[in-house]
Amino acid sequence: MNSPLSLPALSPISRRDFLKKSSLAGALVAAPFILPSGLRGQNAPSKKITVGIVGCGNIADGHYGPLLGSPESIRVVAVCDVDRTRRDSAAARVNKDYDNKDCQVFGDFRELNRRPDIDAIFVCTPDHWHAVISIDAMRNGKDVYCEKPLTLTIAEGRAMVEAARKYDRVCQHGTQHRSMKRFHDVAEYVRNQGLGKLERIDCFIPGNNRQCGATWKPEPVPANLDWDMWLGPCPWRPYTSTGCHYNFRFIAESAYGQVTNWGAHYLDIGQWALDMDGSGPVEVDGHGEFPSSGLFTNATKVDFTVRYANGTAMTCRTRYEGGGTVRFVGERGWLDIARDKMSASDNNLLREMQAPNKKVQLELSNNHHDNFFACVRSRKRPIADVELGHRTTTVCNLGQIAMVLGRKLKWDPVKEEFDDAMANRLRTRAMRSPWSLA
Amino acid sequence: MNAETPPASPAAKTNRIVSANPADRYSNAGATPDAWQECARLDYGSDRSFAWTVREQVIATPPDAYARAEEKLLKSLATPGRTEAGLAFICQMLAMVASAKSVPALAPLLKDAKTTEAARYALERVPGPEADAALRAALASLSGPAKAGLIGSIGVRKDAAAKAALDAIKDSATEPAIVRDAATRALARLANA
Repeated sequence: MNSPLSLPALSPISRRDFLKKSSLAGALVAAPFILPSGLRGQNAPSKKITVGIVGCGNIADGHYGPLLGSPESIRVVAVCDVDRTRRDSAAARVNKDYDNKDCQVFGDFRELNRRPDIDAIFVCTPDHWHAVISIDAMRNGKDVYCEKPLTLTIAEGRAMVEAARKYDRVCQHGTQHRSMKRFHDVAEYVRNQGLGKLERIDCFIPGNNRQCGATWKPEPVPANLDWDMWLGPCPWRPYTSTGCHYNFRFIAESAYGQVTNWGAHYLDIGQWALDMDGSGPVEVDGHGEFPSSGLFTNATKVDFTVRYANGTAMTCRTRYEGGGTVRFVGERGWLDIARDKMSASDNNLLREMQAPNKKVQLELSNNHHDNFFACVRSRKRPIADVELGHRTTTVCNLGQIAMVLGRKLKWDPVKEEFDDAMANRLRTRAMRSPWSLA
Repeated sequence: MNAETPPASPAAKTNRIVSANPADRYSNAGATPDAWQECARLDYGSDRSFAWTVREQVIATPPDAYARAEEKLLKSLATPGRTEAGLAFICQMLAMVASAKSVPALAPLLKDAKTTEAARYALERVPGPEADAALRAALASLSGPAKAGLIGSIGVRKDAAAKAALDAIKDSATEPAIVRDAATRALARLANA
């Protein structure tokens, strides 16, 4: 198993370099590589888009079905995980579906990112890895579908946007509500003043679904796990099974709990309806409850409010029973929306919502994967482009920082700065060696 | 008043001296440990109540009192018996309030491979040329991944004064690829500053 201590740094390899350094025929014999898209007609519908998946756990499970069920023009050719059991299992699943043994397995994303015939990667790791892996991929010419939240910190998000623009890469944020008609219709209706003047938006997110004790004991690292690589940019801590797969989201060094896990979805729809995809709120106030003991450090009760320049407030609160929802409240009534349901204070509002020819028409995507792959071909920006992913993740971060500090903060969405020195320092964090945003 | 009735059991007939003032009976509980010292002895997985107390005080510190919080954290840093987890915690707190005043205490830690990560966690966010100088000075003391991480911090801070040193590292035949690549990326960041 490779670790950062033993693996030499890998420089970006262009497809041109790849062809210079090895004959194409030799390369194709050496590995079951599919001809990379850059060597074909860029926009040919038959062009195969080759995909690597980085992170083969819970979140990746939701991608295998759509990816493996895609037309033959989409092929998963490699998987990567620091947990050998997970990556082997993922490769077996891919191989079984394709009825071959071609799926290559990696324990280090840098090797996958440098395989020159891969067009796009799906980043499905814990949040603390999103920025480093995505930026490295874009530097190496890959398009990126990055799971939500886009990044752990505000600084990481801005760095991801800069990388996508610098390397001219397609980068889709994994907020798939943007590709669900129900959410599109509500955002469009609100944008067209369907509710009259919008008074506020109330987002409800689920409570934490895992608990831990007041203390914990370090455990031996399982033989199948590269713990050092699992931690990556996080401050080092000893392994404990309670603080690894899935549960990382409850530890602030890796994620911000349900604020980013579910908030990234519902706050995102608020941003969309408010036409704030390139901007954000100007003020935040938060008062969460955080555990003072135990391994988990993220809020057990979330409660924050952001306010936009036009006066509209968007709240985000924990709802202990039931799933996440978002309610838009305007002078004509309210609309509630969740993944599986929608309701309104007056059914006429729902009927009006379906009326055609609205003045403001939002882009409609019916499938987040299809939208991403279409943009990989067309080189257009996807429905959940990295910039708006960064802006939504920033709203999550504003709430997290306000709750941590327990005070009202002013935010400048242009400069991406607070009016508070301590809050500004919480926009970023140093990464453990050798990882860095630079 | 709720004066206590003397116990009638045989056990009460010992020679134990019982104060007439009920409040005195709790005086053998001992003093509460100083959270600012105890947080330095934090262990992975142990009770973090004292660290939490310090954290709450640090984040409630108004800007005009950062210096006082910083001073207390620097005293914590010098606590005998400081643990690895304690050091990491103190540096995470310093990251929120530290100024140039913390640099002399953090600079030696930055040069030691065992403590460099924690020190860099704080120093990367300390504004001013003193922190830049400390980061540059540590380049000669570290190697391999730790040096790559240090270079990353210099790049994130966009320290133009480090350009010559980074150029030399980028072109050095003796540096491993991971360090040379870090220097290349940091220089690209400086160029965009």
